[in-house]
Amino acid sequence: MRKLRARVGLLAIVALGFGLVSCGSDGGTTDTVAVTEETTAAPEETTAAPEVTTEPIKIGVVADLTGPFTLYGTSLARSAELAVDEINAAGGILGRQVELIIEDIATDVAITTDKARKLVESDMVDVVIGPIGSDASDAVFKTVAQDGKTLTIYPETYEGGKCDALFFSTGAVPAQQIRPMLPILQKEYGPKVLLFGADYVWPRRSFEIAKPIIKEIGGEVVGEVYLPLIADDFTELVKAVRTSKPDYIFTLYPAIWGAALKALTDAGVMKGVGVGTTFLGDPDLAGIGAAAAGEYTALPFFTSAKGDGVAAFLSAYSAKFGADQIPSGGESMGAYNAINLYKLAVEAAGSTDDAAVAKAMVGLSFISPTGKVTMEASHHLRQTIQLVRVNDKGVYEHVQSFTDQDSEEGCSL
Amino acid sequence: MLALSNPLVNRFSVAQKWATEFSQSRRRRATEFLLGAVLLLLPFASSDSFFIDRFGRYFIWAIFAISVDLMWGYGGMLTFGHAAFFGSGGYLVAIFTTRAGWFLPIPLWLALLLTLCVVAAFAYLLAELVFRGRMPLRGIEFAVITLALAYLLEQYARAGGEITGGQNGILFEDKLEIFNLDLHRGRGFYALAGISLLIIYLVSRSFVNSRSGLVTRGIRGSEDRIELLGYNVPKLKVGLFVMVSVIAGFAGSLFYLHDGIVSPSAVGVTASTQVLLWVALGGRGTLIGPIVGTITLQHLTATLSGTLLDTWLLIIGVLLIAVVMIFPSGIMGYLGKGSAK
Repeated sequence: MRKLRARVGLLAIVALGFGLVSCGSDGGTTDTVAVTEETTAAPEETTAAPEVTTEPIKIGVVADLTGPFTLYGTSLARSAELAVDEINAAGGILGRQVELIIEDIATDVAITTDKARKLVESDMVDVVIGPIGSDASDAVFKTVAQDGKTLTIYPETYEGGKCDALFFSTGAVPAQQIRPMLPILQKEYGPKVLLFGADYVWPRRSFEIAKPIIKEIGGEVVGEVYLPLIADDFTELVKAVRTSKPDYIFTLYPAIWGAALKALTDAGVMKGVGVGTTFLGDPDLAGIGAAAAGEYTALPFFTSAKGDGVAAFLSAYSAKFGADQIPSGGESMGAYNAINLYKLAVEAAGSTDDAAVAKAMVGLSFISPTGKVTMEASHHLRQTIQLVRVNDKGVYEHVQSFTDQDSEEGCSL
Repeated sequence: MLALSNPLVNRFSVAQKWATEFSQSRRRRATEFLLGAVLLLLPFASSDSFFIDRFGRYFIWAIFAISVDLMWGYGGMLTFGHAAFFGSGGYLVAIFTTRAGWFLPIPLWLALLLTLCVVAAFAYLLAELVFRGRMPLRGIEFAVITLALAYLLEQYARAGGEITGGQNGILFEDKLEIFNLDLHRGRGFYALAGISLLIIYLVSRSFVNSRSGLVTRGIRGSEDRIELLGYNVPKLKVGLFVMVSVIAGFAGSLFYLHDGIVSPSAVGVTASTQVLLWVALGGRGTLIGPIVGTITLQHLTATLSGTLLDTWLLIIGVLLIAVVMIFPSGIMGYLGKGSAK
C-alpha cells in the first residue's frame, strides 16, 4: 500500500513536471513567431535594412538519397546543387548568397514528414524543393504548404491535381506528355490501345486524362489492366493482351516494367505491338536495354534531348559529379527549373515573403536548358516535352521536341 | 529439501527469487531516474521547439517499442508484424475522422476510443485463432503469421481505394488539442508524449512484476512447464497479445495524428522489423532498454541523415553490428547484468 502511494506520488510529480513544460511552451512559441514576423516584415517597410539583406537565402531540399528512389533523389539533389552553384557564382539572389540544405528522406513517408518540418521549423528555409514519390509529396504538401505556410515546389513528374497558394509544380503532368505522344504511336502502330498501370493514383489519374484524348484522335481503348506496384505474376496482363489484341500498350508501370515486358515477350504476344510510356528515363532504360526497342517515352528531359542548353547542362553535371554521371529524366530538370524560377520570383517580389514570391512566380518565364518554361496560373509548368524512341541498341533517340506544352491543370487560386 | 527438486512446490520460491532480483536491480532504478531527469529538463535546455517536438516523436515510438518488448522480451514471442497494430491505430483514426458516410466522420476523441476498441477486438479474434485454435501456434510459426499479417495489411492499404487512400494514404484534418491547449506541436506535444510514455512504462512495469507478469516470463522460459503447473497458457497469451496490440494501436494513433499523414508503409513489414532493432539495441526484457534504444537510434538516424548524406546508413549499420557483437543482450541488458544475475 505504501509502495503504491509512493508510486502514485512519483507519477503525479512527473506528470506535473511535463504539464509545466507544456504551459511554458506558450511563451516560447510566440517569441519565435514574433521574431520571424519582424525579419520578414522588415524589408517591406524599409528597403534599406543592411543587416537583413546580407543573410543567405535558405533553400531546403527533401530528396530520396537512400532507398528504392535513390537514383531519382540523387539526381534531384545534384541538379539543385548545380543551379545554386551557378546562382551563387553570378552574385546570388538580390545580392544575397543562397544556402542549400539537403535532407535525405530515405524513400519513407514518416522520415519525409520529420525532415520537411525540420527544414521549415528549425532551419526556417524560404522554400522547400522535392521530393520524388507521390506519397512523400502528399506529406510535403501538408507539412510545408498547408501547415507550415511555406512555399514548396514539387519537381517530379506526377499525376497533377494538387492545388494550394503556396504549392508549385515544375514536373511534367499527364496531359502535356500524353497529348503529343499518342498520335505518333497511333500513326505508327494503329488505333487500338491497351492501358496498363500499377495500381495507384498516378497511373489511374493519367489514364483518366488519356481516355478523352484517345477518343479525340479517333483511337479506341480495348483494355485497362492494373497490377500491384511490384507484381510477381503477369498472367492477367498477358491474357488481356492476347484477347484484346491492341496495336500498342500505353504503360505506367514504373517499378518493374522490365519484368512485365519480359513476361509479355516470352508469351509471344508482343509481335508488332508498340509501347508508349511517360516515365522511363535514361538510367531506367539502361536496365531494360534492347528488349524495349521501338518504345516511345515522353518526359521533360533526356540526355539525347534537343535544346540550346542541353550540352552545357550535361557537361556541368558530369564535371561536378563525375564523368559517368548523368541526370535522370524529369526530376533533374524539374529541380533545376524550380530553383531558377524561385530566384526570378524573389527578384520580382523584392523579398522572400512566401505570399509575395508565390504571386510573383505566376506568369514568370525562364529559358531552361531544353527551352522556354512558363509558370501557369494553375501553379503548374508550361514546358518543352521531349519525345524519344528506343533504337535497336537499346538507347534513346530523339524524335521530336514539343515546345510550350500546356499542363491543362484546372487549379484556380 | 524435497521442495528443491519438485517444480510444483518450487513455483513460489522461483517467483519470489525473480521478484527480489528485480526490485534489487539498483542500476535499473538509477537509469530510470537519470533518463527521467534528462528528458524532463530537455525542454528547458533548448529553445528550438522543433528539436523538442522531435523527442516527443521518439517517445511515441518508444511506447511502440515497449509493447514489442512485452511480447518478445517478456512473453518470448517474436513478432515480425507489430506495426500492423501501430499503423492500424493511425489508419483507423484517419478513416473515422476524415471519411464520410454511414456514421462517419466522428469527433477525434470518439475516433480514438473507437480505434482502441477495434484494435482490441481484432487482436482478440486473431489471438483466439492463433493461440486457441485447433492448432495453436508457437515460436517461429507465430512469427511467420505476424509477418504475413503485416504484409497483408500493407497490400490492403495500398489497394484499399477510397477507404485507405491507396498508395498515397490519408491526410489528417484534426490536430491534437484539449481545451484550446496545443498538444500538436513543440512543448505541448512533448508533454503529451512524455506523460503517455510514463504511464505506459509504469503500467508495463507493474504488469511484469505482477503475478501474471511472472507467469508470462515463465512462458518465455518453458511454456510446457507453466502449463503443467496448471496455468491456462493460451488464455494468458491471448490477454498479453490484446494488451500489447492496444498499446501499439494507441501509440500509432498519436504518432500519425501528429505527423498528419498515414500511408501503407505504416502497417508494413519494414516498420515492424525496425522496432525489433530498437528493442534489441536497448536490451529486450528490460522495458527501459527499448526506450533508450529507440531514442538513441532514432536520434542518430535523424541527425546523421541530414549531415552525412551518402554514408549515414552505412555508419548506423556498422554501429548496430558492433553493439550487437559487444553487448548481445543490448545496452540495458549489459548495464543490468551485474545486479540482476
